Amino acid sequence: MSDSQSIQASLRSRAAELLASDQVAELIGWGAGRFPDQTTPLFITQADQAEGLVYSEYCQNTLGKYAITELSELVADQGKLAICVRGCESRGINRMLKDNQIERDRLYLLGIPCSGMKNRQSGELLSKCMNCSHKNPVIYDELLGETVAEGEPDRFGAVCALEECDRASREQYFDAAFDRCIRCYACREVCPVCTCRECFVDQHEVGWQGKQGNTTENRFYSLTRAFHISDRCVECGECERACPMGLPLMVLNRKLVKDLDDLFQAGEAGLDAVAVNSLGTYDVADVEEFM
Amino acid sequence: MSRIGVIVCHCGSNIAATVDVEQVVQVAKTLPHVAYAADNKYTCSDQGQQAIKEAIVEHRLDRIVIGSCSPRMHELTFRKMLSQTDINPYMLEIANLREQCSWVHKNKAEGTAKAIDLIKMAVAKCDRDQPLFTMSIPVNKRALVIGGGIAGMQAALDIADAGYPVTLVEKEPSLGGKMVMLDKTFPTMDCSACICTPKMADVGSHPNITVKSLAEVEQISGYVGNFEVTIRERAKYIDYSLCTGCGLCETKCPTKTPSSFEQGLGLRKAIYKPFAQAVPGKPTIDAEHCRKLTTGKCGVCEKVCPLGAIRYDDTDKVTAETYGAIVVAIGYQLIDWGSIYGEYGGGRYADVISGLQFERLVNASGPTEGHVVRPSDGQEPKSVVIVKCVGSRDPEHGRSYCSRACCMYGAKHAHQYLDKVPDGRCYVFYMDVRTPGKGYDEFYMNTQHDGALYLRGRVSKIYQQNGKLICQGEDTLSGQQVTVEADMVVLETAMVPANDADRLGSMLGITRDKDLWLSEAHPKLRPVETNSAGIYLAGTCQGPKDIPDSVAQASAAAMKVAVLFAHDELESNAMIASSDVALCNGCGACVSICPYSAITLEEITLRENSKKVTRRISKVNPGLCQGCGACTVACRPGAMDLRGFSDEQIMREVDALCQW
Repeated sequence: MSDSQSIQASLRSRAAELLASDQVAELIGWGAGRFPDQTTPLFITQADQAEGLVYSEYCQNTLGKYAITELSELVADQGKLAICVRGCESRGINRMLKDNQIERDRLYLLGIPCSGMKNRQSGELLSKCMNCSHKNPVIYDELLGETVAEGEPDRFGAVCALEECDRASREQYFDAAFDRCIRCYACREVCPVCTCRECFVDQHEVGWQGKQGNTTENRFYSLTRAFHISDRCVECGECERACPMGLPLMVLNRKLVKDLDDLFQAGEAGLDAVAVNSLGTYDVADVEEFM
Repeated sequence: MSRIGVIVCHCGSNIAATVDVEQVVQVAKTLPHVAYAADNKYTCSDQGQQAIKEAIVEHRLDRIVIGSCSPRMHELTFRKMLSQTDINPYMLEIANLREQCSWVHKNKAEGTAKAIDLIKMAVAKCDRDQPLFTMSIPVNKRALVIGGGIAGMQAALDIADAGYPVTLVEKEPSLGGKMVMLDKTFPTMDCSACICTPKMADVGSHPNITVKSLAEVEQISGYVGNFEVTIRERAKYIDYSLCTGCGLCETKCPTKTPSSFEQGLGLRKAIYKPFAQAVPGKPTIDAEHCRKLTTGKCGVCEKVCPLGAIRYDDTDKVTAETYGAIVVAIGYQLIDWGSIYGEYGGGRYADVISGLQFERLVNASGPTEGHVVRPSDGQEPKSVVIVKCVGSRDPEHGRSYCSRACCMYGAKHAHQYLDKVPDGRCYVFYMDVRTPGKGYDEFYMNTQHDGALYLRGRVSKIYQQNGKLICQGEDTLSGQQVTVEADMVVLETAMVPANDADRLGSMLGITRDKDLWLSEAHPKLRPVETNSAGIYLAGTCQGPKDIPDSVAQASAAAMKVAVLFAHDELESNAMIASSDVALCNGCGACVSICPYSAITLEEITLRENSKKVTRRISKVNPGLCQGCGACTVACRPGAMDLRGFSDEQIMREVDALCQW
């Protein structure tokens, strides 16, 4: 039995137990898609639905963000919400805990060590998994399966390469990307940091964002979103995976992550639920070279 | 639809010289919602204000744009004017056509174009002005004075005499500060202790004043009228309720250590009063040097104390209290000349002393009972060199500013030396002699008559040779190199901010200037106020000054406190942040960024989409909020908005600049 098959087996049996014992009211995992190499998020509430859970190398969706909507639907004393968390999901959960969007005592986290998911078309490692720095979940209630060895990710390789280029080529690189953006806002919808009740792009009265679909407005959207998530981005890469136009969003996000690390030693976001946001606090030792 | 009135001020020729006011008015008339536009020679004058009031009635205006000086200057004036009309005083925008336009430009065409842009932006913003209202916040009529030097004592006495309770916090064991260390005071030569110690006694016995000695302010939160202050009183190891200050313990204590009051020229015991007239007049134990506290052996003071007042197990006392106003009077320290003037021996020569050390040497109650002798061998110096501007007016070594009092105390030291050693010779190296003050220049002239030889130039080097200190310098008036053999050198060193100034300044929200002096709110018109309401400055913490100036400023600060306390309630700031419940997602970014601790997260239950939901939102305390706007920037959902500076208004200004 392969690793993922054994995880799938223990996931199904633990899910059934948790749901049967009423400890957990709802569980979020993955179910079978139309094809064998396809899965889809699955929400189950009964023990007998546990057999529908799937865990394979094609569980592409990051599930963390669903915690917000599902918890708001659940009545508190009915039981907890269980979620499957890999490294990426667990850091998103920490992020949402820190932002007061969910409550830890209403969650039951089934940790899953993950060596990376595969691209359906190419069979290669998914690009979002390539430079993963936390293959094992950083927060969980129980762990399904053995922890896997962490790799040596090159988080800022693409950023450094771009920094080497001159200004004109950088501009060309990003404008070519923003030119393709269709402003579907999928990146925002899947992001565990984007938890505003109304996104700035939808606040018509104030007029932050114009409605035209052109490179200027697209650029404004992507840059503003990148700044909004800058000190919170957990680098799950789900925005880039969800983007139907294949925009290199993580290059932009990681540039800001890198800059904040250089300026404020910000480190990685979402490793716990208490760390301060580097842009949300003031310390007398902060660099103020512009003052 | 709003009806905006635009008034463009000439400010005499201040604006009109660089801005074509008439053209600005013509453009203003064409802007959206502008119902009236006119120019005025002096808008802030009575006639100017009257003209606006008449225009409001005649043209049914409901909001006003004034193109004039900085809002720091006259926004309040114009708000007061509007409060006498039917318009809410906050339906007002000021376009800064003076400081940000005419004063910084020379070319009239460019100045006019910029003035037009500024007016456009102000009109666009004004269109979205909302009436704003203030609230009442209660005033706690108790004052805190930090620092028990002459300024702090004067402020405390004046506030207490006005009938309000005062707590005075002093970090040393006794009140008195630097003044009580001085021998005589220029230009009248009255004894410093004789005029300072009665003040100390007055403070110590005043029914409205509580003195906390050996104490420091640890934490401050809150706002004008309601400061929450945590004070730490360090352990004194003596029960002051029993101690009578008889001094028996001090005479019997076996440990001696250099006295900081005597500037290291004398010794004191480990249980000690820093000087005879100290207030409180009771000793403290210096835990660092006390044998009992360091080794556990001794206990002599406990044995001899007739009242059993010694408490070796004493601990720090931390108290938290509420005050309505704070006077900061933490004073100064002298620049550490030894670390920056290697050419003066860097502190290696015992007979190169600071002015404050000279004060102790010449003082009748000092370590030498007033005999001027060399610290190295106790001999009377027959030749003394006084060097002025040590660390001041010297940006390369020390500070660029003039330390203000040194010319006078340098002259005083020369006078005192020649008085005590009539056959001595005294040389004063100076850069300039600055003596503005009543009787000051006369005093300087008398010192020259006494025989002090003034040499214009800096001392470049001091070194020891055959038991003498050789001072090399230049006499810039004769253009010659001078070498003076001296028995003793007195360095008149610069005042620099107290050690605590930076920490306290940042805790109290007081800005510091480039030299770390605490900054007043306005250099001319608000010299004792700070940018934090309810916090005032007294004495040298704000910049170098002499005793009369310190005392005057202290009384001024006390007056400001008394004015504040004359009200039972204060008007709160109307331009504060508020959170939009619909947009706030309770992430708490505003809570951690607020420098005034004005924001809290609160759980609310409300109906949303026909469902009852309970969620957290941020809430602004209108008394605490100072309207700085940090939260509005940190708020990514855009829920936090600053009244009078809403996101929408700023966006409209940008649009006006780009599109109109």
